[in-house]
Amino acid sequence: MIGLGGLALAPLALGGALLLRRAWIHADARRPWLIVGGWALLALAIAVSVPFLGAARGPSIVLALASTVALALVAAGIELREARRKAPRELALEPSDRRRVAWRGWLRGFLAGPLGGAAAMAVGLAVAVCFPAEVKTRLIIGGMLVPFLWAGGMAWTLSDDKILRALAVLVGVTVAGFGAVFLKGSL
Amino acid sequence: MHAPQQKKTAGKPIWPRIPAPFVRAMLAGHSALGLAFAALIYLVCFSGAVAVFTNEFNRWEQPTAPVLHGVTPAAVGAAFDEVLARNPKAHDLFIRMPEPALPRLSVHGDDAKGGEHTWFADASGKIVAEQRTPFSAFQARLHTALHLPGSWGFFLVGLTGVALLSSLVSGVLSHPRVFKDAFAFRWGGSKRLQEADLHNRISVWGLPFHVVVSLTGAFLGLSVLIVGVLAMVVFDGNREKVFALFSGPAVADDPRPVPVVDVAKGLSVLQAKHPEAGFNYIFVEHPGETGQHMSINRVTPGKLSRGEMFIVDGNARVLGETGFESGNVGMAIYASLTPLHFGWFGGWPVKVAYFLLGLGLTAVTASGVAIWLARRRDKGRPAPRWERVWVAFCWSQPLAYGVAAMVALLAPGAPPVAVWGGVTLLASASAFLWTPQVISIRLRLASAVSLVLVALVHLGLNTGRSVDPVAWIMDASLVLGAVLLAASVKLTKTPTEA
Repeated sequence: MIGLGGLALAPLALGGALLLRRAWIHADARRPWLIVGGWALLALAIAVSVPFLGAARGPSIVLALASTVALALVAAGIELREARRKAPRELALEPSDRRRVAWRGWLRGFLAGPLGGAAAMAVGLAVAVCFPAEVKTRLIIGGMLVPFLWAGGMAWTLSDDKILRALAVLVGVTVAGFGAVFLKGSL
Repeated sequence: MHAPQQKKTAGKPIWPRIPAPFVRAMLAGHSALGLAFAALIYLVCFSGAVAVFTNEFNRWEQPTAPVLHGVTPAAVGAAFDEVLARNPKAHDLFIRMPEPALPRLSVHGDDAKGGEHTWFADASGKIVAEQRTPFSAFQARLHTALHLPGSWGFFLVGLTGVALLSSLVSGVLSHPRVFKDAFAFRWGGSKRLQEADLHNRISVWGLPFHVVVSLTGAFLGLSVLIVGVLAMVVFDGNREKVFALFSGPAVADDPRPVPVVDVAKGLSVLQAKHPEAGFNYIFVEHPGETGQHMSINRVTPGKLSRGEMFIVDGNARVLGETGFESGNVGMAIYASLTPLHFGWFGGWPVKVAYFLLGLGLTAVTASGVAIWLARRRDKGRPAPRWERVWVAFCWSQPLAYGVAAMVALLAPGAPPVAVWGGVTLLASASAFLWTPQVISIRLRLASAVSLVLVALVHLGLNTGRSVDPVAWIMDASLVLGAVLLAASVKLTKTPTEA
């Protein structure tokens, strides 16, 4: 049956998650060993999947199943608290308070959206056009870089308080990327 | 579930300390992005979790179509010929052959008036019914394009994928305790703490899945834009030149009439060359013209790939392959994207895992906004209207899907997207009527009732007929979903708003 091979490896992933959970609960001398053992079992599940389920397919199956198994373990350990009793405050940081200035908000949105997208596109296309590899490989890797870089740029520009620095970097990257593409001119 | 876990003693942290100002800045960016895209991310994640079972919904929605576990080239050829005979001027036809996830033989083509149809055939290739699966088509298109026209929907879904990916990056960087608290899951007590635990636990353990689906989804959605820009700067705006790189050997367009291609012969030639492989679809272009040709797709068992595609000309001569599996690294990556995104590579265990993890990502989105709202309340700036709107929108989706499915079964002519939109609006309007908790409970109960009704209607329509067994499993799953929703209401506790 297709996919049952992945299920056979799920106990290994469960074992790894159990060891990690035990390390999390008991902070004693065995803790480092439990952490190493837990991650080792997870790594072993992935390694074993390669010859049995395929080099790309095996690890993908194990990661999906291991995530599910670990979340099930987390859910099984749910701690129910009294609904009406106020829980002690946890030490969680608050987001930084920024001055609310309209133009900064619009500029930040422009940087995270269109300009970040243009910069990511410029780098992706530069890789697609200039990277030393077979054409289709360049195109796919360059294309995959676009959402990845755009996402990274979005995270950075939305969190960086020095908004003009972000603007300068993104404009520079866009000009450099598209410049490289136009200089080469063809695939 | 159990009551308070064993007290965890503090150990020496193994993670490097991240400066607080950096974390606070990241949190600000994470909040801003999450709020801006919350509804879209929620919708795309929820619809994506359901879309994992697109094939199963197809089988469930029309369960009486013939279930075939194999088919001969002659039968495929016969089905093709019969559909082409209905409209000899068809520009192209798409044949799907039985495979484990969708054991049906079908031919898709247009009629003389330009209307598109898909017909099911039996094991001999005789056309026996027209495909009518409006709900399956609705839910798939909602996920891939939000039912928006042209390429706008794909682009918006792709942009949502970018926003989700960006949220993952800022989320990991802005939660230094996310690994340290990897197993802490407290429910009840402080609303903010409860939602934060739900948000962070699912986020950290589902991270590999979240990265994979957001990256592949963003790429698939943005590919139209990427190809367009690439074509503009490198090929003088000619997109066809970009697509040609991934299409295998080209066949010149030549409209002069010739006898129609022998589909059965072309398939037989390939089957003889690859006896162990499964062929799952054939795309026949320009039948009856000198430039006619077929793209025949082969699935290699055990590979994370959409399969290898062979180009066969009008004389059933194999011209070559596109190189999805036999080509370079780039083609292998490209071929793996769709199965990797939808969880179609490891049988039902992976599909179930993807469904649960997809719902988990939906819950992460819902709880992210809930944390922001709880934080506002903690600071003395509550936003009660938004609290009601968000809860109503989140719980509108299972109800809207349930009602859309029911209407699709009872009145196949009614557009499910209109039903879904109407129910979403109505359910969201409950924000004007009740408190968040009452909205949550009533919409969950209504969703549970709708899911049970869908299963009952489906049973009523198909009992006593010869039915694909997967349909019964889907009905049972719908009832199970309803039971879980109802049970979640029973287990609902009232968290304090502190």
